[in-house]
Amino acid sequence: MITPFRSARLRSVNRPALLALTGAGLFLASLDAYVVVTALLPMLTSVHIAVNRPEQATPIITGFLLGYLAAMPIAGGLSDRFGRIRVFAACLALFAFGSFLTATAPSLSQLVTGRLLQGAGGGALVPVVLALAADLYPAGDRSPVLGAVSALQEIGSVLGPLWGGLITASSFGWTWIFWLNIPVAALLFWALWPEIRSSAEARRPANLDWLGALLATAGLALLTLALYAANPEQSPVGEGFFWQAPLAAVCFALFVWHERRSSHPLINVVRFRDASFSGSALTNAIAGAGLMVALVYIPVLANAVFSMNASGSALLLFRLMLGIPIGALLGGWLAQRLRSYRFVAALGLVLAAIGFVMLSGWNQDSLNGHLFGLPLTVATGELFLTGMGLGIEIAPVSAALLDVVGEAERGAGASFLIIMRLVGMLVGFSLVAGFALWEFHRATAHLLPPLPGLNPTFASQYAIYLLKVRQAIFDEYHLIFRATAIALMVGAVVAAATLRPLPRPRWQ
Amino acid sequence: MHTAGASPPRVVAVGLAVVIGVTACGAPPPDGASLLERSSQRMLALRGFHFQMQISGFAGSGEPVQSAQGDAHPPDLHARVNLKEGGVLLEVEVIFAAGNIYLKAFTGGWQQLTAAQVAQFFDARTLFDPQTGLFAAMRDTTSPTRAGSEKVDGHDAYPVGGVVQASRVHELLPLIRDQGAYQATYWIESPGNNLWRARLRGNLFDASQAATIVFDFSNHDHPVSVSPPPLG
Repeated sequence: MITPFRSARLRSVNRPALLALTGAGLFLASLDAYVVVTALLPMLTSVHIAVNRPEQATPIITGFLLGYLAAMPIAGGLSDRFGRIRVFAACLALFAFGSFLTATAPSLSQLVTGRLLQGAGGGALVPVVLALAADLYPAGDRSPVLGAVSALQEIGSVLGPLWGGLITASSFGWTWIFWLNIPVAALLFWALWPEIRSSAEARRPANLDWLGALLATAGLALLTLALYAANPEQSPVGEGFFWQAPLAAVCFALFVWHERRSSHPLINVVRFRDASFSGSALTNAIAGAGLMVALVYIPVLANAVFSMNASGSALLLFRLMLGIPIGALLGGWLAQRLRSYRFVAALGLVLAAIGFVMLSGWNQDSLNGHLFGLPLTVATGELFLTGMGLGIEIAPVSAALLDVVGEAERGAGASFLIIMRLVGMLVGFSLVAGFALWEFHRATAHLLPPLPGLNPTFASQYAIYLLKVRQAIFDEYHLIFRATAIALMVGAVVAAATLRPLPRPRWQ
Repeated sequence: MHTAGASPPRVVAVGLAVVIGVTACGAPPPDGASLLERSSQRMLALRGFHFQMQISGFAGSGEPVQSAQGDAHPPDLHARVNLKEGGVLLEVEVIFAAGNIYLKAFTGGWQQLTAAQVAQFFDARTLFDPQTGLFAAMRDTTSPTRAGSEKVDGHDAYPVGGVVQASRVHELLPLIRDQGAYQATYWIESPGNNLWRARLRGNLFDASQAATIVFDFSNHDHPVSVSPPPLG
């Protein structure tokens, strides 16, 4: 929970500078959140993992999300205890160290460890910078500042895949995505050094709910392991699913039980009794899962069947990512205008679902058809629609949750929204990754490649084989996108059924 | 459940371990040539082992194999092989069992290969052949010199360096050039004579570019039995 320090406001003369520096750090970390999606293939190649074993890439993505989720709930409390700037600097250092491990990784295990630390460092920056912004600005002026910090985080994550794709495709190669973080972090460290060194910053003993954070993290880690299909030819979930998943459920149950008794809970679990609150949390998670599917599978699709390089697939994905901020602005405006969260949220999710249904109809020629003779392809329109739908839902779903928690818990509510979105991303992606590959292996179980040698028709047989494999990949994607569309429709129904209308403005 | 404290047999065992440890440290290790000879014999007599092969540096245009790992009881073995095709790594699984060769490629199940077909990409059996493979090549390493003990995967081993004729290495991996000579280093545990690592260096695939092949071994003498897979 974010409770601002008043003294910070009085003391600090250069509030904008302080906010700009920490905001830059946050932006750097948010760029890296989804940066890997366009660099996955070369990353795998450099740790000697074959492209036909893509399941081994899953922990590169889930590791980051898990680190993020583990650090976010405790970072705010740590910054109460040790000072905002110091905790910020420590997290930035952790992020830079994670970047170093990732860039130098000779093996998959180091790559995943690096991403986990990057996630932990980067995730911790979010609540710390939000708390710092709340310290620096009085309640009346705070909203636009907090909004700007959140926007910075969103913009960073939208630009990340493009940034990653361009560097990967350049002569520098993918490691430079991570190398570049180190001098930038060092520069920020240097600029903040006077603040880090001074001990004048306000502090208070932190009421940190360590046990709650531990239970929640353990539950999520176990669930991620349970869903990780290390051998998708045999099983769509992990080998230890049948003991890990129940154990995860036990952790979550203990977490809820503990939070109800704790004097300083991470989440006020009683709020879940409010349908608008739990509906909004669930919708947010489903939308996060949908976004993650698009983030991961559109670049991979671009690469696997359209033979695009990293920058090509980044640009393809960017058409979707561009729709998100535009949709987000539109959604906020529409919700105010129509005075309805449930309608606008459901509209966004339905549009995104329609977008995914359209994507699931893609074939070899889908990137060529032009829209009404314009220099825009139909595919561009479909990607943009999907992104816009995912954007429209953000404002009404977030606002509905924040309305329930009220002014006093607004900071905690904002953090909870981010957490639910990431949980949706983590769980949704883990499920999709396992089941999609399992289905691919099932569909191609009897598709034997022709063998060279004394076979005179080998070349033509091989060409036919490649076409069949490509079709199987398309079928896999159609399945992924249709399943995502169904999940988004469920989200739309939940939003329509649970979200409460906007409160009446006070002056009426 | 055992109670805390050392029971008499445990004291004896610890004492024995200390004595063995002291003698092992005290006795001077054998010279390079005899280490190579003993290790070669030891490796050829194993009931099974795990291996990992990694090619780095320039691997040549004609050399699709980048790495391989698996379990072997020569001539039988079961391995996953990474091939590079047009800049992309692809993994296939191979089994050599009961004189037959089986392949599991990117899709579908196992299919049987002819010797001519396997020769086109990677005949992993030649790596550990008792006459022409790596363990036989150890004995043909000239001017061996032993250096001080090093840790390899947590095991103390003596590196023994020497020179192997290219024609000799060509026999164990036919895509390697058969001209000149290559630098070889073997990391051998003593006593025990287990080979933990072997490294070949030189212009292996191209007359002008250096490359390295590293073999790592583990699970020495853990019995390995490979049976033919179900086809289809």
